Amino acid sequence: MRKKSLTKTMNPSVLFLINYAVPIIFIILIAFAIPLSGLSGLYFIRELMIRLSRNSFLILALLIPVMAGMGMNFSIVLGAMAGEIGLIFITDWQIVGISGMLLAILISTPIAVLLGYFAGIVLNRAKGREMVTGFMLAFFMNGIYQLFVLFGMGNIIPISNSSILLPRGYGIRNTINLLGIRQVLDKLIPLKIGDILIPVATFLVIATLCVFITWFRKTKLGQDMRTVGQDNEVARVSGINVENTRVLSIVISTVLACYGQILFLQNIGTMNTYQSHEQVGVFAIAALLVGGASVAKANIPNVFIGVILFHTMFVVAPRAGKALMGQAQLGEYFRVFVSYGVIAFSLALYAWRKRVEKENERKKIMNYRKSILAK
Amino acid sequence: MRKQIIIRTALVTALILIGIFLYVIGKEHKVVIDNRDISIGDITYSASTTYVVWVDNQEIGVIKKGERNAAIVTGVSHKIVVEEIKSNVLTGEKHEKRFRLKTNESATVNIPAIINNANEWIDKTN
Amino acid sequence: MKKKIQNIIENFGLPRIIIFLFLVLLFILTPFVGIRFDTSINDIIVRFGMNGILVLSLIPMVKTGCGLNFGLQLGIIAGILGAVISIEMEMIGFTGFFTAIGIAIFFAVIFGFLYGLLLNKVKGDEMVVATYVGFSSVSFMSIMWLMLPFKSPNMIWAYGGSGLRTTINTKGYWFHVLTDFLKIKIGNYIFFPSGTILFFAFLTFLVWAFFKTKIGTAMIVVGSNTDYANSCGINVDKMRSISVILSTVIAAIGIIVYQESFGFIQLYTAPLFMAFPAVAALLLGGATVGKASIKNVIIGVFLFQSILTMTPSVVSNIIKSDMSETIRIILSNGMIVYALTRITRVRT
Repeated sequence: MRKKSLTKTMNPSVLFLINYAVPIIFIILIAFAIPLSGLSGLYFIRELMIRLSRNSFLILALLIPVMAGMGMNFSIVLGAMAGEIGLIFITDWQIVGISGMLLAILISTPIAVLLGYFAGIVLNRAKGREMVTGFMLAFFMNGIYQLFVLFGMGNIIPISNSSILLPRGYGIRNTINLLGIRQVLDKLIPLKIGDILIPVATFLVIATLCVFITWFRKTKLGQDMRTVGQDNEVARVSGINVENTRVLSIVISTVLACYGQILFLQNIGTMNTYQSHEQVGVFAIAALLVGGASVAKANIPNVFIGVILFHTMFVVAPRAGKALMGQAQLGEYFRVFVSYGVIAFSLALYAWRKRVEKENERKKIMNYRKSILAK
Repeated sequence: MRKQIIIRTALVTALILIGIFLYVIGKEHKVVIDNRDISIGDITYSASTTYVVWVDNQEIGVIKKGERNAAIVTGVSHKIVVEEIKSNVLTGEKHEKRFRLKTNESATVNIPAIINNANEWIDKTN
Repeated sequence: MKKKIQNIIENFGLPRIIIFLFLVLLFILTPFVGIRFDTSINDIIVRFGMNGILVLSLIPMVKTGCGLNFGLQLGIIAGILGAVISIEMEMIGFTGFFTAIGIAIFFAVIFGFLYGLLLNKVKGDEMVVATYVGFSSVSFMSIMWLMLPFKSPNMIWAYGGSGLRTTINTKGYWFHVLTDFLKIKIGNYIFFPSGTILFFAFLTFLVWAFFKTKIGTAMIVVGSNTDYANSCGINVDKMRSISVILSTVIAAIGIIVYQESFGFIQLYTAPLFMAFPAVAALLLGGATVGKASIKNVIIGVFLFQSILTMTPSVVSNIIKSDMSETIRIILSNGMIVYALTRITRVRT
């Protein structure tokens, strides 16, 4: 029944509801959960401020591959790993402050470029199923990262600071304290309104990235990417190197994700060497989808709406769970469920619509053929 | 083509230089501050009172005689200021010293030597 | 000659050759690092029996062109439901085991039916959707394990706290009922779990026989050419649904056999990533995204489990630290990435 109503409806309000089903469901959920959680407005604003500054950059990193028609880039996890390797090195060398952070960026950029290039090539070989491949690639590279950090560091790669090494003498500890660069960017330009610290510099960086993305869309390369995103064949005919363009979009995304992860970790101040990056892709993608983006279309407002809605839920869910069932654990499970559920739902909805459109097109062609034959 | 290579090499070199620069100015050093007797050559300077110490305008704290404290500093050039305390009151008599540390260097500073303007007030180790 | 070798490599797949050689190397190394050869063999056989059915469960979906079942967790959840309900009912021994399977099949049919409906709507993007359907269902069930009103003291937390434990012991219920059935002892170190292997063989035979029936062949047609199937008057969506239900049901049985042999029912987030090793094993056995056979299952499970058994013991004896987890991650996920990059798009 729904299938029919989906394909045949031209009613704009129904279309709107279908297009923005995820954000609408989210707003309703949050509207119920906020009063349940009993959080104060001030606490809430502070939390949102932190989460906006923490997560926006990572989510912005997803936009460019969407432009190039490669869907949600699950392999941003690779960028996050690169960033973490940079952070491990500066912690080992005891380089602190803003220069430490910049040095981490400098070290991890070439790694991110390399990983992004690799991911781009792999994804080119899996056209049409970039998402599932990117996702598996992230898992695979997680193993390589472990091999490198858990067995290589302190063994093949010299690490002098024994406080970040495991007691056995090689391999990095499970958690690394990033005291040296903790919130250096957030507090670079100090501004306090009431009790709330506003990370001005971080927001400036995020704003710069927004400007960059807007500008990038208008460049030759950006235009090429959009052409590739619309139709590979059309792009090829008009002389665009499709493969290269796709690889480039992934490289840019990976590098941005690398910076995003460094930004994220400088705010948190501690790094889970083997876990910090694992969920980066899932949470960023879920947030972007909650912001009203789809696999084929995502813009800057989606990012910010997404962060606000998704992370409001993150703040509220454990408390609401506790108030409702007396168990905070329930809220934890619930928010994991929601993250995965949102992605499943959005991907399914998108795939479904794509297929329906394709079928409609096919019917049109069939009818056209029939009419010609009839003549 | 040639031009491109030159530009790229220049860019990579510049990045490496920036990296080295960041490394130098961001490197942490440990500075141990001693308020203990010290013998330099034939002369012995003895610690007799309590001092308040600032390193790079950061207060490290009060160091009584015979005690030591440590400061973590970042970058190359540093300033240490010591001021004597007598019966819990700052005397206003400040001694200031400046020093530079190379990467991977840490230092031990001796207060009696600073007060007496001895040349060997700082001992840098790798 | 060179061409011939190239041909063999092409047919057999480079990663499979590498892994096979690696395995041979591991076997050669065993005596030198002080590991008993026979215990290793025993471990491999036991693990083969544990995991075989889960891998077998992937076959029906691949045959109808639904791709690799990354939503295997749905079947696993059905199996867990069957297992915990049978324990709640205090069923012991073979009765308990088959009650668990019966209940599991009931849930698996329902889940599989709904899952099939969804997958028919997203043709061409089954795998990525399935992955997240699997993930979200596992996390949804995490909430359920906390809330469902189970009473058995062997399954709920002893003090305070509500909900089921993270691991539930099957000892005293149906632990090793299958494994110990007709168990053959060879020497001091090898126990051949005849029951498990026979059960696996039985199910494998059923699947093989099923694909010889009329419905089975129709499914294969659907998988190889949808348009042709349509023109033959085969109901494509129905065939795909049946294959999804079948896969889910076999997965449900598979996890119960796994628990029976392993001794524990793992709840909450444990099933989250269980689809990947199974998929990797199938691929290692020579399957592709669009093609898989029983042979692939048997070779794949054997190779994959041998590597998993041998590497930790041999490697940790050499470098004195446990690399098994890392190797497992690289091997299973690398295998999947390799397979995904090698295929041409399955026709929709």
